[in-house]
Amino acid sequence: MDCYSFDRIISDYIDANLNVKLRQEANEHIGVCPRCREKLADLKSILNELGSLPCRKTRPDFESRLMDRINQTKEQKESRFIRMFQDYSRPISVIAAVMLLVATSIFVYTSVVIPNSPGSIPSAEIRSVEPNKSMTMPAAAAANVRPILVSTTNEGNLPDTNKVETPNYNNQIMMVNE
Amino acid sequence: MEREKIKYTDEELIKRFQDGDERAYIELVKRYKDRLLNFVYRYLNSFEQSEDVVQDTLMKLYTSAHMYREIAKFSTWIFTIAANLAKSELRRLKRRRVISIHSMGFDDKEYEIPSEEYDPAKETTSNYGEKQIQQAIDTLPDQFKTVIILREVQQLSYEEISQILGISIGTVKSRINRGRLRLQKMLKELKEQ
Repeated sequence: MDCYSFDRIISDYIDANLNVKLRQEANEHIGVCPRCREKLADLKSILNELGSLPCRKTRPDFESRLMDRINQTKEQKESRFIRMFQDYSRPISVIAAVMLLVATSIFVYTSVVIPNSPGSIPSAEIRSVEPNKSMTMPAAAAANVRPILVSTTNEGNLPDTNKVETPNYNNQIMMVNE
Repeated sequence: MEREKIKYTDEELIKRFQDGDERAYIELVKRYKDRLLNFVYRYLNSFEQSEDVVQDTLMKLYTSAHMYREIAKFSTWIFTIAANLAKSELRRLKRRRVISIHSMGFDDKEYEIPSEEYDPAKETTSNYGEKQIQQAIDTLPDQFKTVIILREVQQLSYEEISQILGISIGTVKSRINRGRLRLQKMLKELKEQ
């Protein structure tokens, strides 16, 4: 091994990263070359000094300054959100008002102007149903008689689809007491 | 009865912080503030600027903790952030120095202005060796400087350095070898002056 080759592996020699053969060759070279021997000793002492350089410590108020910065950032973020909300609050409320107006108009139009349109709610009246004396309904079932919804719009002209069917007992028809 | 203090790993702490536990963040700050300062200080050779860089690093940890994935060691991740910020700061400082030299006229005399910057080295007994070593580190090209500090001052493994700098282990080894020899040469020159 010559001095140039030793220079190339000097770090691995110090870190003990060489294989047995190369390490042996390096040892042989150091044995005969005072320049490389000196260089190796010098480099080792420099690395030792580097490793034992005094440790720097942050100042005592380091953490409190850091926390202040974090809190400031948080506040800035919050105020940015509030500012953004304030900036957009007027257009948002105008859009909401317009949408509410449109929705109300549609509702009124479909339920009053076109009462029989698919989305309209038919006006209905609730009529109570009294069981006929001739009916032979069990007492418990009679107590649970539900009111019948009878549509009053266009009565007689259109088939009454809004009637709620009640169970038929003993093939007798429930009569609507008018 | 005194409660036994649980010692969490760095990776467990960052996970807890990601889940919203701010005490975990404070613990990480306590663990890393001085380690990071030592690394950045050797790189910039300015206490004030180094503390600022460490603050920025730990701020970044606070705001970008969600970016950390447990595929890398936490120390590697935080050193990567610090190394990048330190590099940017060094570039900024160099630019500023160039500008201040350019703005100086030919007739201007250069005066030694006593620095009022806080320097803990001044509080301890003056170590000529340390100053010389720091001077030699400062003259190293950036690619060697970083690996030398990470290896010799921070005592990190080749693998960790390779992850932090995003280079292969072979490149790390080669840079360490060349960096050490350059440092030695520089120190020799400084001694002879």
